[in-house]
Amino acid sequence: MKIAWFTPMSQTSAIARFSVAVAASLTKLADVEIGYFDADHVRETGVPARRFQSSKSVTPEVLRSFDAVIYNFGNYLPFHREIYLLSRQWPGVCILHDFVMHHFFAGYHLEHLRNPTSYDLLMETTYGREAPVAARVWETDEVVRFPLFEEVTRGALGIITHSEFFKQRVEACFSGPVARIPLAYDVGTTQSEISRTQLGVQAEEILIVTVGHVNPNKHIESVIDAISRLGPASQRVVYAIVGSASPDYERALKAAARAKGLTDIVRFLGQVSDDLLSAYLSAADICINLRFPAMEGASASVIEEMLFGKPVIVTNTGFFGELPDECVVKVRPDGDAELASALKQLVLDDSVRKRIGALAKLFAENEFHADQYATKLMAFLWNVRSSTPLLGLADRVGVELARIGVVRDAKLVDSLALEIESTLVSPATKTQL
Amino acid sequence: MRVIVATSVAPFVDGGSTQIVAWLHRQLQASGHDVELFQLPFSESYNEILDQLLALRLLDLTQHGDRLIAVRTPSHLLKHPKKVTWFIHHYRSAYDLWGTKYQTLPNTPEGLACRQAIINSDNIALRECTRLFCNSTVVKDRLQRFNQIAAEVLYPPLLDPARFRSGPYGEYLLYFSRLTHHKRQWLAIEALRYTRTPVRLIIAGCPDPGLEPYVFDLHRLVEKYGLEQRVSILSRWISEDDKIELFANCAAVLYFPFDEDSYGYPSLEAHAARKAVLTTIDAGGTNELIVNGNNGLITPADPELIAEGMDALYNDRSMAQRMGESGEQRVRDLGINWDNVVARLLA
Amino acid sequence: MKLAVLNNAVPFVQGGAEHLADALSAKLCEYGHQALLVRIPFRWEPPSKILEHMLACRLMRIPGVDRVIAFKFPAFYVPHEDKVLWLLHQFRQAYDLWGTALQGLPDSLEGREIRDCILTADNSYLTEVNNIFTNSEITSGRLKTFNGLKSEVLHPPLLNPEQFSCSEYGNYIFAPGRINEAKRQQLLVESMEFCRSPVKLIVAGKAERKEDAEAIRAIIHKRGLQDRVEFIERFITENEKVEWFSRALACAYIPYDEDSYGYVTLESFLSRKPVITCVDSGGIHELVKDRATGRVVASDAKDLAGAMDALYQNKAGARRMGEAGYDLAQTLDISWDRVIRVLTS
Repeated sequence: MKIAWFTPMSQTSAIARFSVAVAASLTKLADVEIGYFDADHVRETGVPARRFQSSKSVTPEVLRSFDAVIYNFGNYLPFHREIYLLSRQWPGVCILHDFVMHHFFAGYHLEHLRNPTSYDLLMETTYGREAPVAARVWETDEVVRFPLFEEVTRGALGIITHSEFFKQRVEACFSGPVARIPLAYDVGTTQSEISRTQLGVQAEEILIVTVGHVNPNKHIESVIDAISRLGPASQRVVYAIVGSASPDYERALKAAARAKGLTDIVRFLGQVSDDLLSAYLSAADICINLRFPAMEGASASVIEEMLFGKPVIVTNTGFFGELPDECVVKVRPDGDAELASALKQLVLDDSVRKRIGALAKLFAENEFHADQYATKLMAFLWNVRSSTPLLGLADRVGVELARIGVVRDAKLVDSLALEIESTLVSPATKTQL
Repeated sequence: MRVIVATSVAPFVDGGSTQIVAWLHRQLQASGHDVELFQLPFSESYNEILDQLLALRLLDLTQHGDRLIAVRTPSHLLKHPKKVTWFIHHYRSAYDLWGTKYQTLPNTPEGLACRQAIINSDNIALRECTRLFCNSTVVKDRLQRFNQIAAEVLYPPLLDPARFRSGPYGEYLLYFSRLTHHKRQWLAIEALRYTRTPVRLIIAGCPDPGLEPYVFDLHRLVEKYGLEQRVSILSRWISEDDKIELFANCAAVLYFPFDEDSYGYPSLEAHAARKAVLTTIDAGGTNELIVNGNNGLITPADPELIAEGMDALYNDRSMAQRMGESGEQRVRDLGINWDNVVARLLA
Repeated sequence: MKLAVLNNAVPFVQGGAEHLADALSAKLCEYGHQALLVRIPFRWEPPSKILEHMLACRLMRIPGVDRVIAFKFPAFYVPHEDKVLWLLHQFRQAYDLWGTALQGLPDSLEGREIRDCILTADNSYLTEVNNIFTNSEITSGRLKTFNGLKSEVLHPPLLNPEQFSCSEYGNYIFAPGRINEAKRQQLLVESMEFCRSPVKLIVAGKAERKEDAEAIRAIIHKRGLQDRVEFIERFITENEKVEWFSRALACAYIPYDEDSYGYVTLESFLSRKPVITCVDSGGIHELVKDRATGRVVASDAKDLAGAMDALYQNKAGARRMGEAGYDLAQTLDISWDRVIRVLTS
């Protein structure tokens, strides 16, 4: 099979990192060619990769030579804009990394197109009358109710998600094939040489680490609160928050720490180098990775933490809730008491930490391996290609109906779908579709 | 009765079912019925098939006619409360040619899915028929194997067998058929070489377009074995009268195409002229009509063994005559006549 | 050239379009082409079926032909990159019949939506056609008015024009053709009551419904017109028709609002006979001009009688008009030569 793989390739894109890892595995099973639009600071890959100036530079002749075209989507306009535009012209399989794509589309319509009307129209066609009247919904938690991933699925030949919850959401609005494949993640071969002591953590201290951009949905204040409830044990704790935060928010969190007398314990490290991040993860005793409400399709950070063999406390939501119970410690999203007691148990009991960490590592190494991803992807592509004749028929019928001017929800459309299904779809295929 | 006959056509291509449909049309009219013929073009391009199958499901003839007789695939996809199908052959690329070098659907997931859709449409549409007929046991078996559906064999007759006459059992064997490789006229020449009697061979028929090289090869073969005195090759359109003459005066008829579905009109024409048919084990449908020793001879497709059959028919003309007459009877026994066909189709 | 001729079909119904499609296929072969006549089932009741058949036509494919010639909606939607229309009429229920008693489609939301779809589809697909010909000025006019499409009039010729002749200008008016309400043979018969000259009338053709034939017989009987009117209620053969034309004084053809002039008009002109028609007969006015190639009068029994009398009393005038009609037919070049040439170029 010849596969075209469109992805960001920037050094700072986690999806790029994912793509390089998966392409390396996929190339053992198929002929893979990466297509990207990034101008500079591009990751290296052993797989043939080709840069295009823009989506317009990718001609139908080029695309026709492939059996499958894959598009990687994330909620960041600069990395995915050209990919999105290309996917509109040439249907392919879309990998949805992020559940919430609202920021992408807000940016696309309001900044790139400078067309608030088209943004409004998008919201209305996607969510109908429920579309919020208030502006800037992407700055609030309400954004999870209007994720706008639906727009990406329009016209796609197939969708890949990395969690079960996201798969179900996609199936509710997309009638083509959908797969859930565990996110591939590679730790990277180089271990950091920075030691715990060099990080300023003593041997007898318990290093708790939270990684990633500091957003309100990570509930850092709940973590600070839980630490304060440890009692005397809290003095043995070092809480490293590795990731940038907005100055206002950081100020608020620092105030919360101060109020609980934990100023010396909570360290705000901001954005750090890959190497330093690696060092913190390596040195950590406990990771805390709360996410509520969930915005991503899956969480690369928790996978990374598991691959480092660390016990992670997570909220029982989204992707985190789908992880095996023995590999992570799950707490209810609003359960501050539960969080406190879970943390206490881990802080006090070294053997529990080691057990969970070992199980986590074993699970993650297998589940999130790029080879697994590639195999499952190939099986899904076969499935997608099997659907194309009938989907193609449905598309062509749709085109003719549009030319005839048939209204979208007319009885005719239903009866045609029924006729196609009853005549051309075998009982076996029906269950598949 | 008002009868609609529906069939698919490849425009300007004369296929096997063109004659069956034309003759059926005439016979139904001759029986006093009002007949409407629908010949719907059909493209076999694999990426256009599914669209056309859907079109057939939407074209609505349900309010007209007491019967709809569907012949060539996929015309049986048309809906009708009294639908009868006279099934001639499948869309073979999806069925018995799948997995062979003749398969035209690509061996990709798309091709497989397309194939599955075709099979499914046949499964559904054939089951809508009030009656399902086919033209041979070969096809009946395929319907059972591929579509798990039972069909009744209804043999296609000649348009007008009475035009044939029976004359003396003469000095030549006749191979009357389209000149193309799988009809294997070349095998008749190979066999003649091994005969011990002076029996002659007349090969007659129209070459398929573009197949002049095949005819040239036949001539070369005759020359190679020095059989010029004993073999005549009439490679052209033969008039009805000439054809009747050729059949009337032969000792017997040869017909051994490779693995055909149906017995072929030449076999029927032979029996209409009261002549025996010499065929081979691997000829396919002809073996449903010919019973070895009864109305003809069946030999392995080996030139020397075929030659023995040829000599036998030459040496024993009374046997040739007896078998020819049995052939006429056998056609009657099998109900291969239009009265029967029309009655079964309209029952 | 390899051609497919596309027409709709309703099983067991044969009308003018069917005959023309048959004739075209036969003539194409005569002129050395290969022609396949494709009849596509069409059902328009209930109205939802219309959309299904439009779609079905779009999903059909015609392989192995160089060009497709289509006659009617929705057969003219079948895709082909070289498609030519010889339009007999559009789906008039959506066009000029919409808003009249003959609209056919229900006056409901569904009916209106279907009508909109027909217009949308025509406007979309007909622009992809290489050439549009129609059978009459009226059809071309409608196409221009409703769809903004240009088309050329290509008159359907008779199958065997050479068989017509003129042996004399006799004493009867000849009115051949299918008998139904729209053709108004009844009115012709009624007008005989008002004729003052000894002119006679021959009405020849099969009635579509028993009632139409009975009505005519009733009038003949009631008004005592047995000596004036000969009513031949059956299919007449071509030879019979040619003979009757040959000896007629004139022809009468007075349908209500037909698009085309009707073959009868041509047959009459080729027999050098003038045609009597009515003001509201429709497309026939393309050919029949009052006192030039025939008479055009109000659809009134007395007016018709007057026209018939005038011709009887002035046979020279009838001859003059008949010859003018013949000449007109020649200049218009309504021939198969022209048709085949135009459709296959």
